[in-house]
Amino acid sequence: MPRDTRSPNGAVVEFENVSKTFHSPKGPVHAVNGLTMALQPGQTIAFLGPNGAGKSTSLNMLLGLSRPDSGRVALFGGTAAEAIKHGMVGAMLQSGGLMSDVTVKEQVELWGKLHPRPIPVADALKRANIADLADRRVDKLSGGQQQRVQFAMAIIGDSPLIVLDEPTTGMDVENRQAFWATMRERAYEGKTVLFATHYLEEADQFAERVIVINKGRLLADGSSAEIKASAGAKRLSFRLPGVQDAVLHRLPNLVSVERQADIVRLQTSDSDATLYALLDAGYRPAEIEIQALGLEQAFIAITAEDNNHADGTTTATLEAAR
Amino acid sequence: MNATLTLTKLDVMRVIRNGRYLIFAIAMPAALYLIIGKQTATVDQVDFKSYYMLGMATYGAFAGALMNNSIRIATERKSGWTRQLRLTSLPGWGYIFAKVITSLVTTIPSVLVVFGIGAFLNHVEMPAWKWVVNALVLWLVSMTFVSLAVAIGYRFDPETAQPAVMLVFFPMALLGGLWFPLGGTLEKIGKWFPTYQAHKLGTDIISTGKVSATSIAVVVAWGVLFALLAVLSYRSAKEQ
Repeated sequence: MPRDTRSPNGAVVEFENVSKTFHSPKGPVHAVNGLTMALQPGQTIAFLGPNGAGKSTSLNMLLGLSRPDSGRVALFGGTAAEAIKHGMVGAMLQSGGLMSDVTVKEQVELWGKLHPRPIPVADALKRANIADLADRRVDKLSGGQQQRVQFAMAIIGDSPLIVLDEPTTGMDVENRQAFWATMRERAYEGKTVLFATHYLEEADQFAERVIVINKGRLLADGSSAEIKASAGAKRLSFRLPGVQDAVLHRLPNLVSVERQADIVRLQTSDSDATLYALLDAGYRPAEIEIQALGLEQAFIAITAEDNNHADGTTTATLEAAR
Repeated sequence: MNATLTLTKLDVMRVIRNGRYLIFAIAMPAALYLIIGKQTATVDQVDFKSYYMLGMATYGAFAGALMNNSIRIATERKSGWTRQLRLTSLPGWGYIFAKVITSLVTTIPSVLVVFGIGAFLNHVEMPAWKWVVNALVLWLVSMTFVSLAVAIGYRFDPETAQPAVMLVFFPMALLGGLWFPLGGTLEKIGKWFPTYQAHKLGTDIISTGKVSATSIAVVVAWGVLFALLAVLSYRSAKEQ
């Protein structure tokens, strides 16, 4: 085993006030803007954000593929290059190319030999559900099959940190399930798994911790349940003819109000408090329904809210709401 | 080092499996030599079958060194493969090292096949040491084109790398007299190319056993130029 290179506070990944700006013809783009976060060992972390939020830029800096303009990125307390050299990181890139004119087995075997402590090739192929493709040429595979080859490459090094950028894009349902089953095993082995994804139900199901970024800034950080709560995670709907808007807007813990004739739909961060206040005001709504928001709706709600604010005030609001 | 050698081994295997390499660097020169090489004539103080054997071997060696690597490097940069390699314990120079060694290995069959046809089918005769020296000289000279491959691979996209190779290599092969002997103005221009002088090194070894300083100077100058271009392209690609 290599020396214990974890940082004093035990974090596997640390971002400290990290910024990265790209210069486009239309002016500077602040892809990552003062991002601070720390990932603890053994966690499974989902990294969420709308397109262009800075996810890939952040992951690239994490892996040492690009340098931050300012701030500090540390892997196991040191630089990405050191961690990678010692086989501490297994990664699956969104834009990761594969070789041509080689078989799946040769490709994965090569990857194992480029890491200091690989697991047997056969195991990696089996876990990635591609044992049957071992002798096929890599360049003749479908997109989903190539994703699984990438996945085998990410796990063959038996690295304590696994970084996956959009790992299940292009996979069918069956392979996506096999993928997450394998990922769970890795997490049980105590590995840290960080994944960026578009599929929010995957984040909801598999991540212990969800980090949401928007416009290069940290927007929310917590368990899936906490994120939902911070977004105003309940939808309260009822029928109440003739109620005035002003009454509804005075209700506590309100996030949004929507009306369709006699039907009122509220989003609230505390459905009980909101409902009791309405009853206390003397109203008797009918057909009351309380629904939890999924992570997807929560995600849309918090990023939309953030986009409506030109400055950084939303982060503060969200944290206060928690 | 182990990691680098593993990558090199796999890189060599891929080239051998690749159809383009077999056609351009081995089959085409071998076929041309079989078809054209038997004419009786004397060119540059050697008989035509020897002259054409050296021309085709030079063509094959240079094509082998140049075509695969240039297009592969361009493709692998575009596809993200070179980026991906940065996530392994492979040292930074490992990728280029593998490519250079691959070129040096894959030029060998081109030379051997054409020389084999010369020796066994077309009855080219020369002392054993001249066979060996000729093969070694060709192999060394093809290093200039290994650098050119790196220069093109790091400068062009996969789509433009192939035309770039053709644009540089075919005029050089033609004016260098590799396909057929030239005379007059064309030969005067051709003398400035490494293809011509590499070929001439071979014919001089056969005819007199002595090579001219001009030949060596021209080949070395191009070698330095290509190496310089390779370094510049590599650096500018890294900065992007």
